Amino acid sequence: MNAAADIHPRASARPRHGPGLLHLAAIVAAIIALAPLVAVVVTAFGPGAASLNSETFARYALNSLALAALVAIGAGVLGAAAAWLVVMHRFPGRDLFAWALVLPLAAPAFAMAYGYADLFDVSGPIRTALRGLFGRDVPLEMRSLPGAAIVLSLAFYPYVYLTLRAALVNQSVAALEAARSLGRTAGGAFWAVTLPMARPALAAGMALAVMETLADYGASSFLGVQTLTTGVVRAWSVFGSTAEAARLALPLLGAAAVLLLIERLSRTNRTADVGPSRWRPLPTTELTGAGRWLAPLFCAKLIVLGLLLPAGWLAWRGLSVQPDTIRLLHGGLNALTLAVAAAIFTTLLAAALALGSRKNRLLARLTSLGYATPGAVMAIGLLAPAGFLWRGMAGAAGGFAVAIALLMLAYAARLMAAAVEPIDAGLERVTPSMTGAARMLGQTEAGAALRVELPMASGALVTATLLVFIDVLKELPATVILRPFGFDTLAVMADYYAKDERLADAAWPALLIVLVSIPAVIWLTRRVGASRPGAPL
Amino acid sequence: MTPNRLLVLALIAAAALAACTDGADRAQPGAPAGAGVVNLYTARHYDSDAQIYDAFTKATGIQVRRIEAPADQLIARMKAEGPSSPADVLVIADAGSMSIAADAGLLQANRSPALEAMVPAHLRDGQDRWYAISRRARIVAYDTARVRPEEVATYEQLASPRFKGKLCVRSSDNPYNLSLMSALIERWGVGKARAWAKGVVANMARPPQGGDIDQIRAVGAGQCEIAITNSYYYLRIAASTDAADKALVSRVVLGWPNLDGRGAHINVSGAGIAAHAPNKANAERFLKFLLEAKAQGIFASATNEFPVVAGTAMPERVAKYAALPADPLPVETYGRYQAQAQRLFEEAGWR
Repeated sequence: MNAAADIHPRASARPRHGPGLLHLAAIVAAIIALAPLVAVVVTAFGPGAASLNSETFARYALNSLALAALVAIGAGVLGAAAAWLVVMHRFPGRDLFAWALVLPLAAPAFAMAYGYADLFDVSGPIRTALRGLFGRDVPLEMRSLPGAAIVLSLAFYPYVYLTLRAALVNQSVAALEAARSLGRTAGGAFWAVTLPMARPALAAGMALAVMETLADYGASSFLGVQTLTTGVVRAWSVFGSTAEAARLALPLLGAAAVLLLIERLSRTNRTADVGPSRWRPLPTTELTGAGRWLAPLFCAKLIVLGLLLPAGWLAWRGLSVQPDTIRLLHGGLNALTLAVAAAIFTTLLAAALALGSRKNRLLARLTSLGYATPGAVMAIGLLAPAGFLWRGMAGAAGGFAVAIALLMLAYAARLMAAAVEPIDAGLERVTPSMTGAARMLGQTEAGAALRVELPMASGALVTATLLVFIDVLKELPATVILRPFGFDTLAVMADYYAKDERLADAAWPALLIVLVSIPAVIWLTRRVGASRPGAPL
Repeated sequence: MTPNRLLVLALIAAAALAACTDGADRAQPGAPAGAGVVNLYTARHYDSDAQIYDAFTKATGIQVRRIEAPADQLIARMKAEGPSSPADVLVIADAGSMSIAADAGLLQANRSPALEAMVPAHLRDGQDRWYAISRRARIVAYDTARVRPEEVATYEQLASPRFKGKLCVRSSDNPYNLSLMSALIERWGVGKARAWAKGVVANMARPPQGGDIDQIRAVGAGQCEIAITNSYYYLRIAASTDAADKALVSRVVLGWPNLDGRGAHINVSGAGIAAHAPNKANAERFLKFLLEAKAQGIFASATNEFPVVAGTAMPERVAKYAALPADPLPVETYGRYQAQAQRLFEEAGWR
């Protein structure tokens, strides 16, 4: 998410006079984001006997670990290779691939899982054809740990690609040239200079991919992989123990905290501070020979496997049923409304948090935990605070406005990280002297934030808004459990049909999510290209 | 366009959309007007249920407002809402989860001679807190080219070495599997039930994955010879006009295993009135409507379930199986064994 990251060390503490408006706003934002997580921890220590045996628990934990590791490697390699090719080289179609490589971000992981599971099902077209060819079944099983790792790697590599590409686009030409003039080849300079300097971005991208993997339930459960999240759902739905479900979630929260720490450390440990004073275009290598065709082939393969193949297959399946157009339109309108409203609300809160918590970084970091929390766990965490409201306010539990307000709060809690990260990165560009100048000219702290800091980070604000927008469109657990009467979203509809084993019907809402997300994704990726001053995009 | 301007545009769009949605909400009669509303919390995930709601509104003028979610989440939400819950009726497509909701105090007793006359005693709660509204059998689909019907005549046979590496079934935490296991525990005792689970695991052609329809298709593809499935999933394929589906059901048919000579294992969808129902009279009318001929007929024709009430008109494909012997074990017992069933599955290595 570090879309607008640059490589300057974080500005030191700014002058502050008492708890200002910003500080209060930051505290409110932090409370909203942390309430469900606190509720999960409290629930975990509540009564409720252990019902899963330790053997089962160990199996879940190992599966989670293996899946996370495989996706980290898979998404890391795919995303890094794509970013390196696109930023540092010239080959046919490069400008198109530069933004098209992010497109798989528009497809919810669960939708890709629907497509791949069905395409490679034993009764699906591929294995049926292979059986005809070889006279025996070829076990190309997507419903397996390796299958899930492939699907999730393809779904999440854009995170690595985005962060790494931003870092590469903004890298120092001076350092590269120094390496070349000291006798390194282009490839040697990559290993000696580019990669070490981009390592934080790579780590950040991989951390995001792993957090998404840990939080995922829809895709991995559809692909038959039993992770800790499966354990959470089983403890809750079969054994009726929210306490145990919450206890199972604690290692996941711990893992998320560690990942956030890695992501943060990788960002603060920047050693290189190369002056931005002289921006020159990056020296790119014109690919020749086989590479000239292998590069576009590799990029095209990622887009085909990450989006076109599963989405295309779903579309083909969808054609076999008559969609309920009215219901789809309502679901689409609902999803769009929620996504736009939640994106703006969450971005505002995240901006307040980023601006108002600069002395207390820990607080801002903790609010990001919701992002890596499995949906089922978040649902448990959300019900407790929601219960207070429902019980305390007459008519609240059935009310439309209250339900929507709760959903806004839930999305903010779950997706704060997606908004805080880019805003943080954007604010890093504002030097203390700029803010200082504004204060000297009579601005209050909030005034300086409003008139100087936020406008300077406006690009980052838009990035944050779009990221939350895309995520809300795909969001499932909070929407399902908190929504008002008769209120479907596209994601809810897709899940509903998939539960009833009607994949062709599920295809329509799932593909509509992709369709609505694509413009946002394209806009997002063009911003990254434009983040280098003087860049043509 | 500058980002700032875009943000302003986005804000305006959001306001406009919000206004639209608000209007849509008002158009749906949200506030009690005329005959009022009935607030339905349902864990049934069948699209065709909308036909029943429409028929109810047509017949009574009462609007049906609904929230659909998995059973555990509906139960958790009702618990969190407490006495302020707007829920009038709770519907769940599994007897085990229904009993759990009742025992959590989420339902109120609704003694009704009319309902009792329609619903046989073993298909309703002993304390009148909920009634079955539709039935389904958990049985097998088998490959006619490789399996003879008498080889799947009992549940014991599914676990016998005859089907080693030949059986497909979904994951153990599915409520339909849990309720089947609960029934086996009640009928056979823990020892035999555990041995059965181990036998089934030994017979699995592949690790459990996918849903019931995926298992039936795997039989068609030759990966397994028999699949454990709910009756209506098979009947849905049988009702399809698709050529591949027609070919599938010509080769793969339903077998009807017998539990201790009493009939096949039956699960139900249940409905009960919420403990704090704000529209209790409407809830009673809705519950009764679900058991009347119109709704019972829709369960059979649209979701291929078996009716609860005798004498319901139904399509030929459903009627063929609806009258076959069904184990009369009280369905309310399933909830009691659910956790134990899951533990036995895990011991046996049924994922």
